[in-house]
Amino acid sequence: MRTLAALILTFLWAVPASAKPVDAVASFTVLADMVRQVGGDRVLVSSLVGPNGDPHVFEPSPDDARRLKQADLVFVSGLGLEGWMDRLIEASGYRGTIVVASEGIRTRAMEEDGKRIIDPHAWNSAANGVVYVGNIVKALSAADPEGAAQYAANGRRYAEELRQLDGYARQMVATVPPDRRKVLTSHDAFGYFGDAYGVKFLAPVGFSTESEASAGTVAKLIDQIKAEHVTAYFFENSNDPKLIRQIARATKAEPGGELYVEALSKPDGPAPSYAAMFRRNVDLMVAAMKRN
Amino acid sequence: MTRGAAIGLRDLTIAYDRHPAVHHLTGDFAPGSLTAIVGPNGAGKSTLLKAITGALRPAAGTVELNGLSRSDLAYLPQQAEIDRAFPITVADTVVMGAWTRIGVGLGVDRATAVRAGQALSAVGLDGFGRRPVGSLSAGQFQRVLFARMLLQDARVVLLDEPFTAIDARTTRDLLDLVVRWHRQEGRTVIAVLHDFDQVRAHFPHALLLARAPIAWGDTDRVLTPKNLLSARALAESWDENAPLCDRARGTAA
Amino acid sequence: MIAGLYQATVAPFVDYGFMRRALVACLALSIGSGPIGVLLMLRRMSLVGDALSHAVLPGAAVGFLIAGLSLWAMGLGGLVAGLAVALLSGLVSRATSLREDATFAGSYLASLALGVLIVSTHGSNIDLLHVLFGTILAIDDNALDLMGAITSVSAVALAAIYRPLILECFDPGFLRAVGGRGSLYHLVFLVLVVLNLVAGFEALGTLMAVGLMMLPALASRFWAPTVPGMMAAAAAFAFASGLIGLIASYRFGLPSGPAIVLTASAFYAASLVLGRNGGFLRRWWPRPHLAA
Repeated sequence: MRTLAALILTFLWAVPASAKPVDAVASFTVLADMVRQVGGDRVLVSSLVGPNGDPHVFEPSPDDARRLKQADLVFVSGLGLEGWMDRLIEASGYRGTIVVASEGIRTRAMEEDGKRIIDPHAWNSAANGVVYVGNIVKALSAADPEGAAQYAANGRRYAEELRQLDGYARQMVATVPPDRRKVLTSHDAFGYFGDAYGVKFLAPVGFSTESEASAGTVAKLIDQIKAEHVTAYFFENSNDPKLIRQIARATKAEPGGELYVEALSKPDGPAPSYAAMFRRNVDLMVAAMKRN
Repeated sequence: MTRGAAIGLRDLTIAYDRHPAVHHLTGDFAPGSLTAIVGPNGAGKSTLLKAITGALRPAAGTVELNGLSRSDLAYLPQQAEIDRAFPITVADTVVMGAWTRIGVGLGVDRATAVRAGQALSAVGLDGFGRRPVGSLSAGQFQRVLFARMLLQDARVVLLDEPFTAIDARTTRDLLDLVVRWHRQEGRTVIAVLHDFDQVRAHFPHALLLARAPIAWGDTDRVLTPKNLLSARALAESWDENAPLCDRARGTAA
Repeated sequence: MIAGLYQATVAPFVDYGFMRRALVACLALSIGSGPIGVLLMLRRMSLVGDALSHAVLPGAAVGFLIAGLSLWAMGLGGLVAGLAVALLSGLVSRATSLREDATFAGSYLASLALGVLIVSTHGSNIDLLHVLFGTILAIDDNALDLMGAITSVSAVALAAIYRPLILECFDPGFLRAVGGRGSLYHLVFLVLVVLNLVAGFEALGTLMAVGLMMLPALASRFWAPTVPGMMAAAAAFAFASGLIGLIASYRFGLPSGPAIVLTASAFYAASLVLGRNGGFLRRWWPRPHLAA
């Protein structure tokens, strides 16, 4: 009897030493990458929306609901990006914490179909990325106090990397003459980027994937682009490029490359992490702006 | 010079759901003959015509067409699956009759158009060319179908109750046409009819059918009271407990 | 006033390439699809267009699996799937007691389910059909050439098989009796339907492709008493809808596809009421009768 009790105690004592990793589910790849950077090997992160996917619209499978239910922690970007999340959470029966990574960011407004709404694409400014990191560190530390020190360290290192990227962006944009700082792209998701780094973005449709263009809007945009002398345009990897090609053809602009904005590429692709994605976007856009 | 050809039936049996509708029928329609098929309801008359055109497959026996092809037969069914509301003119309907010769595609050559006009005159529908078929009466529409048959110019003409629900004047006119067809052009004409007076007056040959043949030959020898009585004894409904038919003729089910 | 009228109606097409291309696309669509729509209506197959827009999914999905987001591959796949569904339903309706509306429903539902299955198990959550199906404002020269080619082929083929097609609608028993291969012509007709529709989906999207195929045909029924007349009327209505819809989209900022299709609907509604050939007004208030 006493040996049995001793055995049991040994096991109970042994278990915490090999702590199982925190099971975290993030809404999309960009966020998942950030959580991974902070969490290190203490956190197992998976993303609901996959690489090259569109975080605005998501059709969950029963598998997703199951993953969600078993998760320890769920991360969303927030600000209305993941309109589908509430229903999925309810369906899955997940009762844990939902971490809104964009908590504390100074939001901006944008126009969509004549309505003014909050722009949810906060992560496209590296400075906001730093705020995300802070929230992630807090959340992970709360869920797994044992790893708090590790999270704090990772967080500091990562935040520093992002601050450097922020500086890099400012520096690069500065090399472009002020009247040439314009970019044509099919997705109106660079609002924060534009505000932070002083770049003007021109786009044919609102940032929702659903709205259809009118001939009048297209004509006005062509006029505007011609007036502003923009010469490069960017596809959105999760949107329909046909309309962009049409506008670019009318304005004699050329493709500037593929920007990753709302999703990372696959691991072997050009934008496998948030940092890589950001730097690449900056490089491509600055090169395009210089051609204006 | 006869332009018709013989159609031969050899021990022909046609069945619906294994119940015979035409039972062991053997005989010939001579080239250039004018034959009426008569009999009570459910006697298999329409079924026989459909088998001759190839629309129904025999359960036993054969239909010998002796060198005739599909385009040599012109068939006017009892209740055509024709969509009367279809937006087509009388002239276009009649022209369809010549389609094996003019083929697919738009446009009609002058010769065919002229013949269509002549056909319409022959059936008494002069000037009706541009009318939509939906605006015609039953009698007028039947005339249009007859005009179409004229354009088909076929060697064998099969008519299934062509005068049912038609006014007397149209019936007379079309009957004259049929007789003229037969006499002047020597075509083989086979018509399913109900009116014995019509048959006796215009059709030299008759086949009295009550599933199995009662009589086939010259009309006055076929339409005798004795034969007609036998025909009337035909049971119209199917015998649900019928045994298999043995191959000998005359043993019916 | 003349200047104002010119500004409103002609100037947009003079000034903008995309407007000209859109108008040419409408012309091609009108000539190609108008006559086909009339025949579909007469054969009681008016809902086929919508069914086909769903039926193309497995083909597009397979194309996507093989070649990624290549419009070529997905379009070709979609065409194959559409042809399979159409031809299968045509054959089944000939060989069994089921009518064409039933066999079409059977085929397209099976196809759609297969497509969803393929997409769910292999695809990312990109809405494939959203990518494959275009919008008229985005039509480029390649798509325009393709539409022009298909229109020409359709027109020639329809003219060639016109008589047996009409006969097949009007008196199929006769056609069968004279040994006409009714099934063959019907299948050729189905191939033309699928070609026009799939090309229309890719160039213009489903709403426009189906809308401009069927609505003008329905309207034409109330004006012309013969089939050639209806075909001409349908083509005219279709082009007029395109022209007016594009102008409205330009002036009032309305989305182009819906604007065009609603114009076509307006023509249809007006025809219902005012049409010479069976419209309401003529039925309720017929003209005084003639002397003979």
